[in-house]
Amino acid sequence: MAAPMVSIQDLVVDASTSRGTAHLLRGVSLDIGRGRILGVVGESGSGKSTLASAMLRLLPPNISRLSGQIRLDGLDLVALAPAEMEAIRGRRVAMIFQDPMTALNPLFTVGLQLIDVLRRREPGLRRADELKQAEAMLATVGIPDPRLRLAAYPHQLSGGMRQRVMIAMALMAQPDLLLADEPTTALDATVEAQIVELFDELRQRFSGSIVFISHHLGLVAELCDDLCVMYGGVIVESGPVTEVLARPRHPYTRALLDCEIDDDASGRLASIPGDVPDPLTVLTGCVFAPRCPHAAPRCLQGQPPLMELEPGRRAACIRADEVLP
Amino acid sequence: MMAGLSDSIRSGDGVAGVLARVSRSFTGLVGLLIVAAIIAIAALAPFIAPHDPDAIDVLNRFSGPSARHWLGSDHLGRDLASRLMHGATVAMAVALAAISAGLTIGTALGILAAYLPTRWERFILIIFDVILSFPSLILALAIVAVFGPSTVMVVLIVAITLIPQFGRVARAQVLTLKSAPFLEAERILGASSLRIVTSHVLPNIVGPLLVLASMDVPVVITIEAGLSFLGLGVRPPQSSWGTLIQDGYQYLSDSWIPVLVSSVALVLATLGFTLFGEALRDAADPRLNRER
Amino acid sequence: MFANETARYLASRLVTTVLIVFGAMLMLFALTTLVPGDPARTLLGPQATPELAQRFIAAMGLDQPVHIRLWRFFSALATGDLGVDVVSGRPVWTMIRDVLPYTLILTFASLAVAVAAGVPLGIYAATHRGSWMDSGLAFISVAFIAMPSFVVAIFLLLIFAIWLDWLPVLGASRSGEFWDEFKRMILPTAAIAIGWAGYFARLMRSSMLEVMGEPYIRTARAYGIAERLVTYKYALKNACIPAIALLGFGIGRVLGNAVFIEVVFARPGIGRLIYEGISTRNYPVVQGAVLVMVVLVVLVNLAVDLSYSAIDPRIRRDGAAR
Repeated sequence: MAAPMVSIQDLVVDASTSRGTAHLLRGVSLDIGRGRILGVVGESGSGKSTLASAMLRLLPPNISRLSGQIRLDGLDLVALAPAEMEAIRGRRVAMIFQDPMTALNPLFTVGLQLIDVLRRREPGLRRADELKQAEAMLATVGIPDPRLRLAAYPHQLSGGMRQRVMIAMALMAQPDLLLADEPTTALDATVEAQIVELFDELRQRFSGSIVFISHHLGLVAELCDDLCVMYGGVIVESGPVTEVLARPRHPYTRALLDCEIDDDASGRLASIPGDVPDPLTVLTGCVFAPRCPHAAPRCLQGQPPLMELEPGRRAACIRADEVLP
Repeated sequence: MMAGLSDSIRSGDGVAGVLARVSRSFTGLVGLLIVAAIIAIAALAPFIAPHDPDAIDVLNRFSGPSARHWLGSDHLGRDLASRLMHGATVAMAVALAAISAGLTIGTALGILAAYLPTRWERFILIIFDVILSFPSLILALAIVAVFGPSTVMVVLIVAITLIPQFGRVARAQVLTLKSAPFLEAERILGASSLRIVTSHVLPNIVGPLLVLASMDVPVVITIEAGLSFLGLGVRPPQSSWGTLIQDGYQYLSDSWIPVLVSSVALVLATLGFTLFGEALRDAADPRLNRER
Repeated sequence: MFANETARYLASRLVTTVLIVFGAMLMLFALTTLVPGDPARTLLGPQATPELAQRFIAAMGLDQPVHIRLWRFFSALATGDLGVDVVSGRPVWTMIRDVLPYTLILTFASLAVAVAAGVPLGIYAATHRGSWMDSGLAFISVAFIAMPSFVVAIFLLLIFAIWLDWLPVLGASRSGEFWDEFKRMILPTAAIAIGWAGYFARLMRSSMLEVMGEPYIRTARAYGIAERLVTYKYALKNACIPAIALLGFGIGRVLGNAVFIEVVFARPGIGRLIYEGISTRNYPVVQGAVLVMVVLVVLVNLAVDLSYSAIDPRIRRDGAAR
């Protein structure tokens, strides 16, 4: 297999809070293949949004530690100077945010915000050409009357339309890596389905890799090539999406699937008994042990690494072969 | 929004606790000290003032600061320090009277607005809007033009201009409270509206209103001093910081000491109360504090 | 939905405006009616000669029944007739017209200076948060805000005119020569501008900080928009909305409070016209000038409210209320 587009090694992110140091990412390692869509799934607080922000180096100001490597085509983003990172954003990496209602500036037209992104890639374009490209991009993401919409302000568009604008903005950048942080969570169900459909269409025309963050397993199954399950700031399982869903190797993934099948017809994650781990605690055993039905004494002796169990399948469970063969 | 203060008042750490939090920042401490000093002077002026503030001593006009006249004397030889101390009493009395009147009426109207039918609520809100957009100083001038200057008039005018802000905050607080589960429970148990307001709503909204009131003190001091400066407020020979500044200004060619001393006293007071009010607000709302 | 809501908002603003102006007129009328005792005596003072009192009663129409006076009062206003000065017999409107420019120029000059100084300082403080300059500015702006403008005026007078003897102080230029008037404007303008610069600096700082934490700023950064552009294009426009609200509020406030500055610096102006009208008990002058001032202030507030729609396509009413 060719070298991955993104290779993350032992990524650690800590934040200082009023209660102490919060461990948001506790050593994450991950590869994202070229042209593949990786789904990242986990409950809220599992670190999936932090992972996306870290890849853009747009972490909140209270971050006290960022270590490890994020290699984009070999270039380590963690080690870049702020000005160099600024050159990467909006050119090689772009992001779609969760809430389209607040992610667009209310005082500027859609067209202007799109064109500012376009200018990052192609400075010095004629005004008419800029408008034409922005209009074409709006058409691509399925916005009717794109020419009229260029002059619209965000508040004049519905939530679904705004999210389409965000997607257009991301495509405008033609990035190698597109991060989508729960892009449909804030939308209602019918609109969500349309946006998912749009993503499905786009994967045909988009050559870069996509990271699609969601807490919606069904959606990830529909859209993604690979899956990575996060829990408490660590990746507990990763692999091709069909295989992971058909035969999970980590008890947490198993529990997630059970929730989805048993409790919740809407396809969203229902909760698993027990609480999500407090980011303030320092791990002494497996992060999932307190809620794991299969926890054994040796599970409390340290967080197991993400081990390759079979080609392409990894899980961070020392009992994977016993309990989920 | 500023529930922190009411919380801490109810949870028993009381006034002392709030003041401790106010004095945690340097500016808050400075404000607190100035405010405490002014209130003490205002309350004790008749006992601690070294001279009769109205005692005229024409032979010692414009004497500079000395052991006899700490801050010098004015154009009639009256002792400036004593006059400033009595001026503090006037300023504090006006502030107390005007703010309590504005607070009481405004809060009552605000609570009424929250409980009355929409039509009356709108009516009250329009009244608030009208008062707010009215140039209040100009209004004051027109009233003084007819009824003549007096301290009572100053209090009345200031009180009216303060009504809307208390009313708005009270209404907003009540509206958020109305949906609170514990009030819902009370209502279901059959408590009367009046009982709910006096025993549950008022204690819950008093914090934010007091913060607002404390931030109004420097404003009221300024208005009183301003009107008195123009000769449209407190009447001579009653000493007010405003009249003292006016007297000093009139005799600027003879000596600049009286005008400087009285102006500095006024500025210290407004600055002290402003710093105190802001520290109080920050103490009441930790979220704002962090942002600043 | 958008157009509808805007229309309703504008309509309610118009109604309030009309109500205020009408209320002011009624109040001014009522004050002459409600005045205790003999109106001529009370309004003119005990020194008034019988002839003056007679002239006053006739001029104000005080010998007529209330409804006739009310009718006359409003019909006169409708034709722009503000009555005549009881002492000199000059039309009040002419007197106002002569001094109004002084007040307007003073108001706009001082606010322009305040914005020009305060806004950049506030932006600087926000972009250099926690720095030495930031804390220094924070304290200085509180101090400036806390100082009443007439006290600032007196301080400036003491420093620059009495101690340093640098600038001509009192009055407006008699010759009407530009440089002379310009020099005479400096201290009055500064006296008002200092406090307002403090207001603008503080407001700009906090609203910049608030806006810089908004998700859409994060979006701009996520797309690699240069930090300079993020600050001065994307954030600044949003952060300016509260500043515009403050400006509108400020124009009304400064117009109303100009009387202090005009009295301290002995400058002509509508505030001083009212002040002198009160001292000389020239009630028609007070009445006319107060009415003009109220209309002016209320119209300015309305204009500012309307101008939001030019900047903020959503018309944020909460911005106006803040």
